[in-house]
Amino acid sequence: MKDELAKRLVQGLKDAGIDFVTYLPETRLSQIVPLIRDDPQMTLIAAANEQEAVTIAAGATLGGKQAAVYMENTGIYVSCYSLLTVGKQLGVPLLLVIGYLGGVPDQRNSFLYATIGKHTIPVLDGMGVDHQVVADGANLEGRIKDAVRAANALRAPYALLFAGEFSL
Amino acid sequence: MIRYQCLELLAANMSDQLVVTSQSGQRIEWSHLSRHEGNLLVGMMGCAIGVATGLALALPHRKVIALDSDGSVLLSLFNLATLGNLRPKNLIVFVFDNGVYSGSRISYPTATSGNTDLAAMARGAGIENAHTIRDFADFKIKSVEALTRKELGFFVCKVEESLMHREIPRPNTDLAENKYTFVRYLERTEEKAIPFVGRG
Repeated sequence: MKDELAKRLVQGLKDAGIDFVTYLPETRLSQIVPLIRDDPQMTLIAAANEQEAVTIAAGATLGGKQAAVYMENTGIYVSCYSLLTVGKQLGVPLLLVIGYLGGVPDQRNSFLYATIGKHTIPVLDGMGVDHQVVADGANLEGRIKDAVRAANALRAPYALLFAGEFSL
Repeated sequence: MIRYQCLELLAANMSDQLVVTSQSGQRIEWSHLSRHEGNLLVGMMGCAIGVATGLALALPHRKVIALDSDGSVLLSLFNLATLGNLRPKNLIVFVFDNGVYSGSRISYPTATSGNTDLAAMARGAGIENAHTIRDFADFKIKSVEALTRKELGFFVCKVEESLMHREIPRPNTDLAENKYTFVRYLERTEEKAIPFVGRG
C-alpha cells in the first residue's frame, strides 16, 4: 500500500469518528499502525489475538468510544465467537478493518493465502456480518463513513475488506 | 469460601463502579444481589475480561470490575498477557475458581483443580497485583482494599462448588435491555452521549 493511501485510510477513520482501535498487525495494511499510534486523538491497543481485540473494542464502544478492530482476515476465523456473541448477540457496533489476504483482488495472492481468502466472505455471510470489498482508493473516505454509519444503525459489526491497491 | 458470600460483601461496598460478569453462576447471583444500572451481565464465557478492559480504557476515571470464573478465564487466557502489559489502574478482576465446570451439570474438573495456578500465570504475564485468596477473611481485606486502590488487581478466589445460583431466579432482562440500561446509565453519569445509540 502506498503511504498516501495509508494516510487517507487513517484520516478516513478519523473523519468517520473512529477514536479507538484494537489490532493485531498483518502485512497488507500495517502502515496504518504507526499513523494511528502517533495520532493524539486516537487510542491504539494491541491485543493478543483477534477474539480479544473484538471484546476490548466492544467494551470501549459501550463506554462511549467509536471503535474499530484492525486485523488480517485470518482473524475473522479466530474471532468468530466474540463477533457472534458480543458483536451480534449483544448488539455492539464495530468497524472491522480487514487485510483481505487470498481473495481474488489480493495482488499478493499465493497458495499460502488462497484457502483463507476463499472462505472469508462465506464465513462473514454465515455470521450475518455485513461487508464490502475495498480494492481501490475511490471514495475511500465516503465508504468508511458509510460503513461506520451502517454499523451504528445495525448495532453490529461491519467489515471493510481491503485488497487490490491496498495489497500492493 | 462461598461465592455468594463474597458477592454479598462486594455488593455492600459498591457505589458507582461498573461491573461486568461472564456467563456462569456469579452472573445469576450478582444480578440477584445487585440491581445497579452499572451492571453489564455479559451472557458469554471468555468475553467479560475483554469487555471490562475496553470499558476501563474508555473510562479511565471509573472503576471497572470483572466477575469471572475459572472455566471462563481458561477460555481466554490471552487476556492475561494483554492486561499484564496494559495494566489499567481502574480494573479489578475477581475469578471465582470452584475448580469445576459447574454449569455442565456433571461438574467435570477444570485445569485449576489439577496443576494450573491462574494467579501465578497472571503474575508471569505481567500482572503484579495477582493473588490467590483462600478464605473469606482474606477476601474481605483484599477486595475492599482493591476497590479504593489505583492498581490493576487480579484475584483468584478459591470457592466451594455451590449450586445456589440454581435456586435463585435467573435475571429476566434480556441482553439488549441490559445493554441499553447500562449505556443510558453511563450517558447520565458521564454526561455524554454514547455515539451508537443515536436518534430514531
